[in-house]
Amino acid sequence: MRKAFKRIFRTGWLNFKRNSYLSFGTTGVVALVLLLFSGLMVLNYVSGQIVAGLEDKVDVSVYFKNDAPEDQVMSVKQDLESQPDVARVTYISKDQALTDFKAKHAGDALIQQSLAELSDNPLQSSHNIKAKNSTQYASIVTFLEGNKFRPVVDKINFYENEAVINRVESISNGVSNWGLVVTLVLAFIAVLVTFNTIRLTIYNQKNEIEIMRLVGGSNWHIKAPYLIEGGLYGVFAAAIAIIIFYPVLWFVSSKASVLIPGISLVGYFVSNVFQFVLIIFAMGIALGIISSFIAIRRFLKV
Amino acid sequence: MIELKDVSSIYDDDFMALDSVNLEIKDGEFVSLVGPSGAGKSTLLRLMTRELKPSHGEISIDGINIAELTNAEVPLLRRKIGTIFQDFKLLSRKNAFENVAFALEVSGAEPEEIGEDVPKVLNIVGLNDKVKNFPHQLSGGEKQRLAIARALIHRPRILLADEPTGNLDMVNSYDVVKLLMKINEFGTTVILATHNREVVNAVGRRVISMEKGKVVRDQIEQGKYII
Repeated sequence: MRKAFKRIFRTGWLNFKRNSYLSFGTTGVVALVLLLFSGLMVLNYVSGQIVAGLEDKVDVSVYFKNDAPEDQVMSVKQDLESQPDVARVTYISKDQALTDFKAKHAGDALIQQSLAELSDNPLQSSHNIKAKNSTQYASIVTFLEGNKFRPVVDKINFYENEAVINRVESISNGVSNWGLVVTLVLAFIAVLVTFNTIRLTIYNQKNEIEIMRLVGGSNWHIKAPYLIEGGLYGVFAAAIAIIIFYPVLWFVSSKASVLIPGISLVGYFVSNVFQFVLIIFAMGIALGIISSFIAIRRFLKV
Repeated sequence: MIELKDVSSIYDDDFMALDSVNLEIKDGEFVSLVGPSGAGKSTLLRLMTRELKPSHGEISIDGINIAELTNAEVPLLRRKIGTIFQDFKLLSRKNAFENVAFALEVSGAEPEEIGEDVPKVLNIVGLNDKVKNFPHQLSGGEKQRLAIARALIHRPRILLADEPTGNLDMVNSYDVVKLLMKINEFGTTVILATHNREVVNAVGRRVISMEKGKVVRDQIEQGKYII
């Protein structure tokens, strides 16, 4: 068994090496395909970041009446936090609200002056609610409406924000749906290109396969080295793709961070380098072996 | 023992390559199969290696009807039969040693056995100094001798030669035929399909003449090429 494996690997490697001109071309094509996949991963990451950024800007605030008792306000917070859709609830007291308001309008003399003239704090205490997903705000609000402390709630700003929230939601759905469609279409094309390239490479050796059959080679005996050869295309292509990918990413990353502040492509792909390399290699090898497998089946019928 | 009973072979385009052929070839015979191009010689050989299946009739080798073999059993049949062709059918990506070794590897031989047997056979056909050469680095005669070495490596009971001298000059043709006769002396059944008159007459053994898919003459002993 071990000898058989050794023979298969040796033959596969020799085929790859002796056919260097063709192997080089095929490897190049597979490398391009893998680079395309890497590009798609970058695209997915960027669109994910954009969607997350948008969703992060959406929230709902519940404002309480001025005479609302502290313990009831706090128990609303607890009720909210027990909801599965709620990511977090931030309590903003009257004083905190005033401090924030002053800070926000520090440059506006008129507002500062009007505030100073007021003896009382005009701002309300509130809960700022973030949902795990922007589609969940409606149900959270419905829950609040049914809460036993509803009487102490003055207003919920969801109704003012509803249009914006819906819009963000449709944009983020659009981005992720179209991203998926584009990814799938490109991935399909990539697989077809790889498959065809490897098929042509093996077609070149159609006669050889026929001869092997004629001198009594069993199907697996003939097939196995070709699978190894296909896998080798994948290995070398993956190595080439990775070597090209990182410098290009480094170059693109600085431009991307100008366009979309707070995004670091290099940071993301460097901190996930292990997974990324693993995925690219696995994809290259799988593409190579599967394409060889399908391609060679057609020539084994003699 | 090879037996053909009422064998017909019709190609997809309705061309009748063989028409009700009946034949019996005993172990150890040297049979020359002669006739013009298109007489059905190659078809007959291809039927014996199950490259083709007969449209009608039965072919049996050692009592086994080879049309009934499963796809997995076909390689086992082919390892019992050595085949050489006019166009040599060598593996262009393998060198001389590897070409011969491949036929042994497929039958599951150990590397030690391969390392021992292959040089011996290459020596028999006179290629011991061309072990590392690839087919494109060999002359026509050398290619055919390499093909013979490959056909011999698993000591086949039957050797089928389809126009082995078709691409060779007289001297090389004669060498190849001498080799085939030597192989036959060791007990291997040899079936030689050819339309080379000199070759057939030089062998002087059983000659089966074919024309338009039929056997028209079967000279059991000291046959001559007659049309």
